[in-house]
Amino acid sequence: MSDTPAPLPVIKLDRACVTLQGRKVLRDITLTLSEPRIGIIGRNGSGKTTLLRLIAGLIAPTTGQVRVGSLNPAQDRKAMLGQLGILFQNPDHQILFPTVREELGFGLRQMGLSASEADARVLQMLAAEGRSAWADAPCHHLSQGQRHYLCLMAVVLMGPQTLLLDEPLAGLDLPTQARLSRRFACLPQRLITISHDPASVRDCDRVIWLEGGAIRADGAPAPVLTAFEAEMERIGGADADTDLSD
Amino acid sequence: MEKNLTQIALFAALIAILGLVPKVDLMSGVPITAQSLGIMLCGTVLGARNGALAVLLFLFVTIAGLPLLSGGRGGFGVLAGPSVGYIIGFPIAAFVTGSIVEFWRVNVGVSAFVGAFIGGFVVLNILGIIGMSVMLDKTLPEAALLALPFAVGDTIKAAIAGMVTQAIARARPEALLSRA
Amino acid sequence: MLTLTSPTRTFAHGLPAGAKLAVLALFTVALFAITAPLAMALCAALVACLALSCGRSFALTLVRSLRALVPFVVVLALWHLWLADPLGGLTIGLRLVTAVSAATLVTMTTPLSDMLTLFQSLLAPLARLGLQPKPLALALALMIRFIPVMLDRFGQLSQGWRARSARRIGWQVVMPATLAALDDAAHVAEALRARGGVA
Repeated sequence: MSDTPAPLPVIKLDRACVTLQGRKVLRDITLTLSEPRIGIIGRNGSGKTTLLRLIAGLIAPTTGQVRVGSLNPAQDRKAMLGQLGILFQNPDHQILFPTVREELGFGLRQMGLSASEADARVLQMLAAEGRSAWADAPCHHLSQGQRHYLCLMAVVLMGPQTLLLDEPLAGLDLPTQARLSRRFACLPQRLITISHDPASVRDCDRVIWLEGGAIRADGAPAPVLTAFEAEMERIGGADADTDLSD
Repeated sequence: MEKNLTQIALFAALIAILGLVPKVDLMSGVPITAQSLGIMLCGTVLGARNGALAVLLFLFVTIAGLPLLSGGRGGFGVLAGPSVGYIIGFPIAAFVTGSIVEFWRVNVGVSAFVGAFIGGFVVLNILGIIGMSVMLDKTLPEAALLALPFAVGDTIKAAIAGMVTQAIARARPEALLSRA
Repeated sequence: MLTLTSPTRTFAHGLPAGAKLAVLALFTVALFAITAPLAMALCAALVACLALSCGRSFALTLVRSLRALVPFVVVLALWHLWLADPLGGLTIGLRLVTAVSAATLVTMTTPLSDMLTLFQSLLAPLARLGLQPKPLALALALMIRFIPVMLDRFGQLSQGWRARSARRIGWQVVMPATLAALDDAAHVAEALRARGGVA
């Protein structure tokens, strides 16, 4: 993995709102993200996945502004590919190609490398990770943890300066969680982790609590997570969740 | 028994969504609707019988009144219009495609491409052209002219069907019913 | 999922589906027997009146659904102008629009469930050849149940593509979408077997 010598671009959201299918999913989000390890915590339905897609530029804000450095992520798609990478929750919803080689090479080719250049980089990375045997393996033959790894490698190969991780440890067994967490900790990129589980974001420099599409708390992990856990316990104690969200 | 039924139902759903999602790129810059590709895949992946049944189920529901044909079309209007030959041809195309893949036991990618070409291009267009000829009151050669602009794109689609089927054969060899 | 049935209830909504289909079939056969432009125009006017009698928004929806015919109408117009046979072109064009409109009228005034029930009863005689009604009903339900599920997954695959590519989504996503259909089919088959099977 290459070092990132330049200072990481600052991610700025200015009163960003997102309305999807008539519902206001994100309200007036104003944030300046510059820390190397940021966590976004919230329960399911709080809007955190939408926030991730907003920062990544996969959706545009309905009102307000989003900037990654000087780029508008929703518009400057080509430039964004090298800036910001996303690791989605479920590898099976992310892996597009049948073999490891093709899957890893896809992003590089989309960034403009020739097929042979992309292939060379892929093999180089696999060798560096001690996984040269994976090159021609069908993705389907990889275990669940290995598939998470594959998706991570595919994203890191594109050399982004920021990585967005959506529930990266969800559904994984403990050894795999430990391995992946260690891997993340070593990454030189800025990491923004989105989760509903406080354990995933406890080691971050800053934690933002998203509730009902708005920022409930923002600061050091300890106080924010304590408040979050208390609130989750309170909600869990009540027999709610009977409303149909549509 | 259950597996046949669920595959038929789910591939019918697959054809539907391939008509509902935005067009995909054929090759740098040329967009196509993936629905007819889905019909070829019913044949190459599920084989003749199940593939045809999947397409028939899809048509059953679409003609009954769901707008599942690409472009949001559906209902009886599709049988009354100039594309009626193609509509009737869809299940037949899937059957022919599937038959070729099932019986011509060469490399599955090759068999699937040829099957998709003969079923999804040749047979489908013959029936489609007959339909257009009747509906538009033109001779067969005249109707054939109307189908001509799509010939190259359709051939490429058949090639894609071959490639996708081959990839599936490598990823899930046990799932490829056409080669069970 | 929204069906093509019109939400505004018209006089035709209450009529039995089988009767409407039979009338439609006869009408379409008659349309193809007619050659005189005037007679064709009268048929077109008849269908137009029927559509308008169902309400203005109904008629507008019907007209909008004829969008797919536009390229054919244009080709016909150019073709027949070239052949200096405008009346012939007009007749064929009218026939096209009238036949499709009449068929769409039937679809717009018949609830999906009625139409499905009618189709299933029409297929009932085939039960003796092996086409059982219960599996058909189940297959139908499964198909409709899985359309939104698969749409969702296709959306996620598309998102995965757009996260790594600035270009439009390519045909390659059809591969994981198809694999997902196969996998879902296997899981549902298992669930079915666990609940007693299809019979």
